[in-house]
Amino acid sequence: MFHNRTEALLLALPAAVFAAVVFLVPVAILLSESFRSPAGWSLAAYAGFFSEPLNQTVFWRTLKLGLEVTAVSAVIGYAAAFAIVSLPPGSKGRMIGLIMLPMMVSPVARTYAWIVILGRTGIVNQALHGLGLTDAPVRILFSETAIFIGLLQLFLPLMIISLISALENLPKDVVPAARVLGANWLQIFWKVVLPLTREGLVIGGTLVFTGSLTAYITPAILGGSKVLMLETLLYQRVTVANDFVSASVIALILVAMSFSTNLLLKRIATARAGT
Amino acid sequence: MSLRFPAALVLSLVVLFLIGPFLIIVAASFSAGDTLAFPPQGFSLKWIAKVFTVESFRQSFVTSMILAVGGTLVALALGVPAAYAMSRYQLPFTETVRTIVSAPVIVPGIIVGLALLRYVVVPIGMPITLALFLAHTALVLPYAVRVVSASLANLRADIEEAAVLLGASRLGAFFQVVLPNIRGGILAAFILGFVTSFNQVPVSLFLSGPGVRTLPVDMLGYMEIVFDPSVAALSSLLAFLSMGIVFAAERFLGFSRYV
Repeated sequence: MFHNRTEALLLALPAAVFAAVVFLVPVAILLSESFRSPAGWSLAAYAGFFSEPLNQTVFWRTLKLGLEVTAVSAVIGYAAAFAIVSLPPGSKGRMIGLIMLPMMVSPVARTYAWIVILGRTGIVNQALHGLGLTDAPVRILFSETAIFIGLLQLFLPLMIISLISALENLPKDVVPAARVLGANWLQIFWKVVLPLTREGLVIGGTLVFTGSLTAYITPAILGGSKVLMLETLLYQRVTVANDFVSASVIALILVAMSFSTNLLLKRIATARAGT
Repeated sequence: MSLRFPAALVLSLVVLFLIGPFLIIVAASFSAGDTLAFPPQGFSLKWIAKVFTVESFRQSFVTSMILAVGGTLVALALGVPAAYAMSRYQLPFTETVRTIVSAPVIVPGIIVGLALLRYVVVPIGMPITLALFLAHTALVLPYAVRVVSASLANLRADIEEAAVLLGASRLGAFFQVVLPNIRGGILAAFILGFVTSFNQVPVSLFLSGPGVRTLPVDMLGYMEIVFDPSVAALSSLLAFLSMGIVFAAERFLGFSRYV
């Protein structure tokens, strides 16, 4: 360990000054704007924002979709992670690679594919029509369902990877022991597996939840201009209405949500280090 | 595969859900038809060829490349010394630096872009290209610091003290002893930064001007007007490019050790 203060300062300062000037200060000004009114500091912008029914709808939709995507990815994630950890080492590695593969593909390309699948003449509609289940194309694109599907595909890998590492740390004999003692699969999951893998679930959940709240491309493409989420609403408020007050309110809501879930994650990480 | 039936079925469905859309994009790139559809109508390379003739794609590709390569290099130039200071000097302010530098990860990109446009670009009349460059650098900086910090943590600090004791200058010890040892980590940080910057959209949404657009933003705009398979073709090309880079890095460097 070296202890020369000036030296350390000279090394660390450029990065810190850069991040502060390019990022911290402009973002702080933008966020503070939401508390400003002609009469001084106030919460008037928030009252104004939430008094509009459209904004309320978008706010609750964003929160709801975030929770739904997180919950569903947890259920699917456990099933997939269980299957993957019980594979022999070689195929386990290949399977993890396969799960992570979509993460290297541009989000624009990934979301774009869903248009081909969910669109009016897409695969789903062709199949429904072919099976004689529908006469006219079903509208799936530009709906909450479409956004949900897109977000799930985007963030499910993060949940699976988190749960795999949690399940790998599960002591090898707890599940057989519970089985010998007469527990059924549901009891084993609720009373043994879930408590012991809670950390992995929370880490995966945080990544999926914040990711879903702050995604832009997926709601923009799959939700269209009608089914908005907070990020797409922010973009519209600025580009269509030139309304920077609403934009700064949305910005603060998004940063607060993202920051608090990340804080929770950090709490859990340090709690683990402490035990 | 040594899975029982229900587990194997679940896993196959999950993989199909995750990989399927990508396979459809690849298949659609080779379609002979004029609209984006699956199954593709016939086989042709015309959409792949078309990608290279669209002027705006060429322009925005170059813009994105410059941002990704240049931004990541600048982020590394700032991030490597900072990571070194944080790992080798334990002083109160290094924690503050760590917090400031990693903050861009928590704030959604669209907000960074808007804040820069409104409080930097407009008031001081900064050129959009420069603002884009700064934004992409800030975006990559946390990754650069994190990955380089991880590889510095794996390198024992006493080897450079030994080099200093043997008569090297501090700077000399860094370049001759530390740098060669963290080369893999720096390259991993570069690749991660490049892919992050190249694929990123929200930061660049507000920061575009006449003729200045990143490739993904340009693709988004093109899709709104034209519904032909050329965006699918471009998407596949880009996907194979970034997968190729990541796989090469994994193969030659064991890239995942650092992330």
